[in-house]
Amino acid sequence: MRFDLDMPAWKWPFYVARHPFEGFEDLRWKKAYNMKVALVIVFCFFLVTVCQTVMTGFLYNNNYVKIFNIVPLFTSTIVLFFTWVVGNWSLCTLFDGEGKMKEICVVSAYALVPYLITQVVVILASNVLLRNEAAFIMFMQYFGIVWSVVLMISAIKTVHQYTVPKTLIAILFTVLAMVIILFLLVLLMSLFQQVYVFGYSIYTELMYRFSM
Amino acid sequence: MPTKKKILGAAAASIMAVTMLTTSIVADQPYEGYQYDWWGDPVPSQTGYVVDKVVDGIDFGTGVRYNTDEQLKEISEQEGKTVEKTVEIGPLSDPMDIFIDRQTEKVYIVDSGNDRILVTDTELTGKVTVMDYFYNTATGKYETLNGPRGIFVRHDSDAESPDKETIIYIADYENGRVPVMYEDGSIFLEVTRPSSEFYESDVTFQPNKVLADVAGNIYVNIKSITDGAVMFAPDGTFSSYYGANRVQQTAQAIANKFWKTILDREAAQNFIQNVPMEFSNFDIDDEGFIYTVTESKSATTDIFKKLNPAGENVFIKLGYSELTFGDMASYYVHGMNYGSSISDVDIDENGVIRLLDYRNGRVFEYTDECDLLFIYGGTGNQKGLFNTPSAIEAYNNTVYVLDQRKGSITTFKRTEFGDIVHEAMALYTEGKYEEARGPWMEVLTRDSNYWFAYIGLGNAEMSQGNYETAMDYFYMNSRGGYNRAFKQFRMQFVRDNFNWFIIIIVVVIVAIVVLKMLVKKLKKKKAGGKQ
Repeated sequence: MRFDLDMPAWKWPFYVARHPFEGFEDLRWKKAYNMKVALVIVFCFFLVTVCQTVMTGFLYNNNYVKIFNIVPLFTSTIVLFFTWVVGNWSLCTLFDGEGKMKEICVVSAYALVPYLITQVVVILASNVLLRNEAAFIMFMQYFGIVWSVVLMISAIKTVHQYTVPKTLIAILFTVLAMVIILFLLVLLMSLFQQVYVFGYSIYTELMYRFSM
Repeated sequence: MPTKKKILGAAAASIMAVTMLTTSIVADQPYEGYQYDWWGDPVPSQTGYVVDKVVDGIDFGTGVRYNTDEQLKEISEQEGKTVEKTVEIGPLSDPMDIFIDRQTEKVYIVDSGNDRILVTDTELTGKVTVMDYFYNTATGKYETLNGPRGIFVRHDSDAESPDKETIIYIADYENGRVPVMYEDGSIFLEVTRPSSEFYESDVTFQPNKVLADVAGNIYVNIKSITDGAVMFAPDGTFSSYYGANRVQQTAQAIANKFWKTILDREAAQNFIQNVPMEFSNFDIDDEGFIYTVTESKSATTDIFKKLNPAGENVFIKLGYSELTFGDMASYYVHGMNYGSSISDVDIDENGVIRLLDYRNGRVFEYTDECDLLFIYGGTGNQKGLFNTPSAIEAYNNTVYVLDQRKGSITTFKRTEFGDIVHEAMALYTEGKYEEARGPWMEVLTRDSNYWFAYIGLGNAEMSQGNYETAMDYFYMNSRGGYNRAFKQFRMQFVRDNFNWFIIIIVVVIVAIVVLKMLVKKLKKKKAGGKQ
């Protein structure tokens, strides 16, 4: 073995990022899934997205930051991530995937690391670069995204012990599953809201009766 | 017994009533001025123009036919009824166009429903001349107009005699011709439908608007033609089509393009042809550039163009054609689209652009670099608001808007705020950024939402070398300006702190080398210890 695999848990995401193909196999073999590290990465994902919205330099910031609203950022990072995990798990258990929910969560989080690192660099660079130096920022951005996507495919492939085509199909259907989950969530929320309104109107009605 | 809540409620109501009263007293304008901020959201702003007066046909009183008595006698014989010299003007009926001749300070109003042209002075109070019978030199008869829609007046500096200097072009819509005449109303040229080899036989020739350039070329805008304006040589012969819009890139247009490249020509002909929107109005500036506007509910491509004599849109190269003209967002109420629909354009003697949005009755005033200056006007029945504005013209800081349905002319005069902005703007466009600082400061004390003042001040700071302050001014106001200021600031920063950069780099390199050596030594020691 060229590398000493008995490393602390926090080193694993970086090791995996540097070895997109055998990294996840090593992770699986060592059973080094660490939920704490994964949750920290997901939180960083949220944090970096907030920073990206607020701290990107004026020359590169196309976000509507006139009113800062954290809810859409939270939804587009943390909620989206766990929807991905749940969607992937619920799909792949039906299609003889070997991954458990915890394992899917951990490897998916680890796959995000290159994106987060490049995003931090992009945020810093956007504050010191001019408009005509945009090529560097574009390159960094795409580089991070492509790297993370490659890692994500590798992660899903390894955790379920799939072939590459099956992985790609699984990812496609996971996205569909995510759409369905989110749709149901919205539906549920609007239903609960109506139940709440109903309950509240009964409460006010009763209050009018008794307070007179 | 009144509870505490009730007392509070009564107090709040009375306060509201008082504020409502006071606001209705303060609001002397029937519309509110606004501007757009960095995010394209409307923000309240000072108005640059206020309504000066509203003049309708009855206010003109009586007018005089420009024909001589002998001519009138001849017309009476030809018409079979007596035609009086003095006429009661009466209400205007569907006036469609207004034109101001800057050289003679005359205002021409096309009173379409009454088939006549009214000529008066720029104050709209002077003597009115009525033009309704025109002597056609070719046929030797007196002719009338039929639903004229546009007028243009040009001065030919090398004319044979002074009475042939002023040339009037009228878009005679229903008659399908453009009579070209001298000031005395004698038609010396009639531009009619070109021969069929240039002009499709199933397309009508009904001139909507007309203009002429310095060389005397005549441009006729026809609503049923999407190839642009029909251009005629000074002698009335067809020369070409001029300045068509681009095809809007919709999903369908792209799909059709795709199929056309795959299929052979015959199969491709079965597809719906993608044609550009026809433009609806145009104006020419002193340098010979022609500006066109496209009146459309849905189109966003080439709403406003500036064409050079070759017919190319110079705004494309400058990136202005990507801008949104008129209101930023269109909104829907009961399925009706209330987005801007630009129906007329005017370029005044200072190069200021004014676009008329006929759906919301607003005038959008831009600099020659398409920076929004003011928005004013609105729709309604109140005095100073419009029902169906049809044409706009500006002269000497006064804006004239013609209302087709109301049959009136509304004039706007510039406010003190407008004067200051224009003063600052004039200095700014000349590149006198430092001199413009005072007026821009004055603008900001009156209206801190006025975004262009920040750009002006930023440029003033730039010219003084205060790049950091300039960056503050450009922040959230101008990306281009910020980029320029930041470039200078960064260069200065690196130059000033060059020694520090070198020291940091050297220290980091030395630290890395030393650390590596230490790690190696430690490893060796460990390895040695094990053995």
